[in-house]
Amino acid sequence: MTVEIPVEKWPGQVREITLGATADEGGTRSHTVTVGGETTLPFLHFEGEIPHPPVVGIEIASRRPDDWSPLLLETWSDVVDDPAAWAKAAEEAGADILLLTLSLEDSVDDATSAVRQVLEACDLPLIVFGPGQADKDNELIVPVAEEGAGERLVLGVCEEKNYRTIVAAALAHDHLVNSRTPMDVNLAKQLIILIHDMGLPLEQILMDPTTGALGYGIEYGYSVMERLRLAALQGDSMTQQPMLVTPGEEAWKAKEAKVGDDVPAEWGDWGERAINWETLTATSLIQSGADLVVLRHPETVQRVQKTIDALMAEAGEPELVAA
Amino acid sequence: MALSGLEIYKLLPRTNCGDCDFPTCLAFAMKLAAKQAELADCPYVTDEAKVELEAASQPPVRLITLSSNGHKVEAGNETVLFRHEKRFFHKCGLFVRVKDTDDLEAVKNVASEVDGFTVDYVGLDLELDGMAVEAASGDPDTFAECVEAVRSATEKPLILIGSDPDVLKAGVASLTAKASGTVPLLYGATPENWESMAALAKKADVPLGVRPGGGLEELAELTEQVKGAGVQNIVLDPAARDFAGTLTRMTQMRRLALKKNFRPLGYPIITFPGEGAEGPEEEVVLASQHIAKYGGFIVLDHFSQASAYPLLVFRENVFTDPQEPIQVEPGLYEINDPTPDSPVMITTNFSITYFSVANEVESAGVPGWLIVADAEGMSVLTAWAAGEFDADRIAKSVNATGVADKIDHQKLVIPGHVAVLSGELEEELPGWDILVGPREAVDLPAFLKLGNE
Amino acid sequence: MLVQEADQILQRALQENGPDTEVAFPNTAYYLPLVFGMTGREVQTLGDLVPVIEDAKRLLRPVPADRRWTPYLGETLDSGIATLLAEETIEAVRFIYGLEPQRVPGLELAGGTAFTSPDANGDGQAAGNGHLNGPIDDIQLRSWGIQLVDGRMPGFAAIVGAAKSNEVAVKIVRELQQRNILTFLAGNVNGRSIIHQLQEEGVEMGYDTYIVPFGLDTISAIYALGFAVRSALTFGGMKGGQAREILHYNKERVFAFVLALGEVDDLKYATAAGAINFGFPVVADTRIPQILPTGVTTYEHVISMPFNEIAAEDDLGRAEKLVQKCIEVRGVKVRVTEVPVPVAYGSAFEGERVRRADMRVEFGGKYSRAFEFLRMVDMDEAEDGKVEVIGPGFDEIEDGGAMDVGIVIEVAGREMQQDFEPVLERQVHYFVNAASGLQHIGQRDIAWIRISKAAAEKGFDLEHFGKILHARFHADFGAIVDKVQVKIYTDPAELEKWLETARDAYDFRNQRLADLTDERVDEFYSCTLCQSFAPNHVCVVSPQRLGLCGAYNWLDCKASYRINPTGPNQPIRKGNLIDAEKGYWEGPNEFVYQHSNQAIEEVTMYSIMENPMTACGCFECIAMVIPEGNGIMVVSREDPSMTPAGMTFSTLAGMAGGGLQSPGIMGHGKFYLLSPKFISADGGFKRVVWMSSFLKESMADELQEVAEREGDPDLIDKIADERDATTVEELLPVLEENEHPALTMPPIF
Repeated sequence: MTVEIPVEKWPGQVREITLGATADEGGTRSHTVTVGGETTLPFLHFEGEIPHPPVVGIEIASRRPDDWSPLLLETWSDVVDDPAAWAKAAEEAGADILLLTLSLEDSVDDATSAVRQVLEACDLPLIVFGPGQADKDNELIVPVAEEGAGERLVLGVCEEKNYRTIVAAALAHDHLVNSRTPMDVNLAKQLIILIHDMGLPLEQILMDPTTGALGYGIEYGYSVMERLRLAALQGDSMTQQPMLVTPGEEAWKAKEAKVGDDVPAEWGDWGERAINWETLTATSLIQSGADLVVLRHPETVQRVQKTIDALMAEAGEPELVAA
Repeated sequence: MALSGLEIYKLLPRTNCGDCDFPTCLAFAMKLAAKQAELADCPYVTDEAKVELEAASQPPVRLITLSSNGHKVEAGNETVLFRHEKRFFHKCGLFVRVKDTDDLEAVKNVASEVDGFTVDYVGLDLELDGMAVEAASGDPDTFAECVEAVRSATEKPLILIGSDPDVLKAGVASLTAKASGTVPLLYGATPENWESMAALAKKADVPLGVRPGGGLEELAELTEQVKGAGVQNIVLDPAARDFAGTLTRMTQMRRLALKKNFRPLGYPIITFPGEGAEGPEEEVVLASQHIAKYGGFIVLDHFSQASAYPLLVFRENVFTDPQEPIQVEPGLYEINDPTPDSPVMITTNFSITYFSVANEVESAGVPGWLIVADAEGMSVLTAWAAGEFDADRIAKSVNATGVADKIDHQKLVIPGHVAVLSGELEEELPGWDILVGPREAVDLPAFLKLGNE
Repeated sequence: MLVQEADQILQRALQENGPDTEVAFPNTAYYLPLVFGMTGREVQTLGDLVPVIEDAKRLLRPVPADRRWTPYLGETLDSGIATLLAEETIEAVRFIYGLEPQRVPGLELAGGTAFTSPDANGDGQAAGNGHLNGPIDDIQLRSWGIQLVDGRMPGFAAIVGAAKSNEVAVKIVRELQQRNILTFLAGNVNGRSIIHQLQEEGVEMGYDTYIVPFGLDTISAIYALGFAVRSALTFGGMKGGQAREILHYNKERVFAFVLALGEVDDLKYATAAGAINFGFPVVADTRIPQILPTGVTTYEHVISMPFNEIAAEDDLGRAEKLVQKCIEVRGVKVRVTEVPVPVAYGSAFEGERVRRADMRVEFGGKYSRAFEFLRMVDMDEAEDGKVEVIGPGFDEIEDGGAMDVGIVIEVAGREMQQDFEPVLERQVHYFVNAASGLQHIGQRDIAWIRISKAAAEKGFDLEHFGKILHARFHADFGAIVDKVQVKIYTDPAELEKWLETARDAYDFRNQRLADLTDERVDEFYSCTLCQSFAPNHVCVVSPQRLGLCGAYNWLDCKASYRINPTGPNQPIRKGNLIDAEKGYWEGPNEFVYQHSNQAIEEVTMYSIMENPMTACGCFECIAMVIPEGNGIMVVSREDPSMTPAGMTFSTLAGMAGGGLQSPGIMGHGKFYLLSPKFISADGGFKRVVWMSSFLKESMADELQEVAEREGDPDLIDKIADERDATTVEELLPVLEENEHPALTMPPIF
């Protein structure tokens, strides 16, 4: 019997975007990282090209993040007090990129010096997010953009209510930005348009449709990302940005990952559960189209990277296990 | 080409008899068109109409049911590739495998652990669906004994795995002898043994898994053969085990069934993530891929609470109806051990809304009473717009919870998005002060801390 | 002419210093920015300047004799660029001779460009003493550029010349500072410059105060345009030589203008022409020929506003108005962040009630009349922010009493259209309600407003209605509204007069709505607001078919699109007509296909039987075919009863919603029932055999009109409702008895 495999001919393609800059390109990174370029849905190698595998980032902070789960603080141990040491540790843990989150308590000097130290301590392309309050974000990201001039950082977070200053800073110093919208296809698209309207090339905008953690709304993020990716492949230009999500942050907010005491016995071993929580959140989002996932635990990084490797393995005919 | 509801209606008896459990023939026709009902539910449809409607009414992925002792696992009847297009209908079954070469006591222990595992998630009791028993010994008696041992520990549905029909037969016999209505899944028919396997499945009237030696062509041929031998209920093995391979095969199979209406592959898929993964950590990840990407029955080789819980939650998330989100039980929720002077807040029973509010209050460390109103599972703004979260509804919720008896003040914080209700609410809830809270949950901690000062 | 002068200066410099002498503005990239931007030439040495002057000469045309520029605008503009190239050349040469930055003894800049070796940068103190600023350095360019790009800084003003008096100079600069507008200073009138004026008055100048003195001559105004070019190169990603793109970028994105103070000589004119190329309008406080037609600049090109003729009480008032005019001409939008009323203001107060016992005074309701009326006026007919109370206040009214009031809002805006009047007018309700202690009900001439005692005690007065409306219309509708003035009438005669005007306008609008047919417009609008929960659903809103939620009609969508061009309401060109009866056009088909994730291929505007419009779930009504009755039923959201379809509204909602296209069932807005286009392809309103009594009662008058339009005045009574039929079996006898027209119509399918 002949079976004709249905192959979709997608007219669209995800945009290729490069993070970081080497010395030749005006930065100091040992290599750059390129994402995007897909011409099919995630890992459907039989149908199209997936030129770049999804990328795994590790989130570090400019100062000890006391609200993080004790499990994370224990794992990273001393380095959480020192962004440079943490950056090094994260690089050794296998991160492809780093996300540095600034703190509400940071002064401009704290922020720029954290960025400087991290850039000096490691070779990876860097994403820098403000603490998440509009005024403070703007206050810190502008000097950070100047400090990191030439490095093609990703600056964040651009949101509908606060994107202009960050985009302007990116324009001034040739960086990228992260465009974040709350789990909605049209809002995601709209913010990309608005940012692009300010003059920032589409090659410098990552799309962050936001996600919920496993058990906390992941299905929304998952479906919105699937829809965005379908729209991109169908040729809708303003949805063709590679997608960045932060499953690490989301998963470790969930009680299941965050705490070990006073939880139901049937939740099982805390450490294993927490890692599973972060891993499944990340891998499902990768399956729905994420091009960059930012994680927090080094063990998760290993597991997610292994999964990506397995999914990128382009076996002509799927391997059949002998019975 | 699928028929519209109106076209189907023309072919129905148009008597509005109601025997199909739908109020009118038109309603039934529309459900048929949406592939949410089966033509067989209409006892009066004519044979000619039946033929005409067959194509339109048959679900592209056949529904397969395993059952025993009141437990039931259904897979199939799926109509879309992406959950946002409509929804995924039948949660894939999650099973844990033991082998008849394992120590019997150990087998029993695993089975009782799996059987007893229940975990609460947003008010739902999540459980695994059953056990798979593999005939690795090759000996009918050993297999039967093992099946009995599992059965003694759990009443949930079973999957019987083996390549020797005679051995499997012993297992089936030991099961069906004990209780009628037990429908296990037999796995599996191969190009070598399909005839005797099909005969066994047909005789026992149980679904049969099929596993080809190669690709989808072989699989399609095999299912046609098995079907030809009289077995209607079939489960497919994608004949791939690894991440990329299963994703490719299973996507192709679902597409063929849905988009090409390709009957030979219009059945649920069984997977064995443990065989494609290196170790239990990876098995969880691969299993989650199979949950999202078209698995019907998933057979795990390891069980631990710390991995079963996230898998069950993920399955719950993927299989929710995107248009009918998970709801939280309406009622009064206590956060951080509230006291009579703690603030009272109200929100809707949309799970995400509830979680964002509850999480913020909890992490703020401020004790509070949270009333969850029944707003048909909609978020605050949507519910308000739809008239499901109006002053009347809020007042009723407040009164129904009896929160007034637990507090020594009469202040209610309403979401900022429905500030417009404050006046009306003061009328509906005489004596209460209505305070307008922030619009977004994330601003609640600041709001509550301000109130404390 | 300046180009010749520049040529001579250059020739002399070449002789004296040689062609290899380095030329640069300190601490700036992009070579000589204007030359680089306009011509792409990377000037690094004196020799590189020779071809620049050649460029300038080529651009130069003979100046028209009598300065009547309008007909010759194209040449004027080219000459302008030539002037700018010459000016930049001159400044570059002056740097070689140490003539730039210009010395001004005693001047201390509060932050400025450093002119020593690059190593000494950052030492602002030493940088700014005894001389003017010269070109703005790159660090400051980026820092201000970011603010200009993100909108914190609305724009920049280049002031050339000297003000009437020191007092006026200070006032002008303060007015600009207050609005966060960057101010550049240059030029003089008979040797006296605004820079002198400010220095004498002790006004601090420098980067820190956003006031940058470039130089005492007109030529140094070139630095302002250099700044503009560098902005485009830095923030707009332009390359040198992309003259058109750079000029366009400035026109679209940099809100700058030139304010010429004092007599305008030829050089100032020529420089102004250069500025116009950038889309920067020129406002002069003396009498000069105006260039009004817009084209290159967003609005007018050159405006003459003789200072002494400005209507105001004194010079300070004149200065204020002059600045106001500049801002208006450039189209810089006013931002009002706070609503200046003596009571708390915010959406948290929207639902507040003012009970009779707590009431100070009411307008409208049972005991008095109140109306609100918004109309569009011309730009020069409105003075932004002006609020007048015409007639007595409510002091004389006893507590709890009532009085008549009319609120007339006049808005002007370059994007304003008469069709937006009702859309904006409806906002009055929300805007007024958001004030603590105020209650607003109704609209038009059935408005009913109460002010609480608490609000009155805090000082809330009639004029505050105007303050609220001014602030909110700017904040929420700034995209279409430039000016808002409010008149509050309590004077009986005036009120009467205006009420009549208002009623005429209401009638006119009603008529306009009635006349607004699908055939008469070229565009429908989409609404994809609900895609967050019904991802494949697209509402197509036409004049005769409003959104299914009832909240958006065609005009609302049109206004919403103007306000938020990337939002959920997008215009849909109708395109080629495919089928007039069913309502198929190419445009909506394509749009819906694209925006429904390719789930819906075709959509009819006027049929429930064939490719009906999909629905999200917000519909006010659901229509469903009742085959037995050869018609349809319409159930409203308010009706909880069983319907002849065997399902209640909420069960039906599951079938009608979710963006699925199911012929035979359709969600829609209440008012669509009244439209002549209501399922007109299937027979129209006469097909309605059953309708929730709620609809019959709440729209009795309107439905009666429909019945008469359909030629069957008793039609509404012939339609069954839940009181006489909740099953098909019950329905049919009722229809027969009523002789419902649907029974004799052609089969519905």
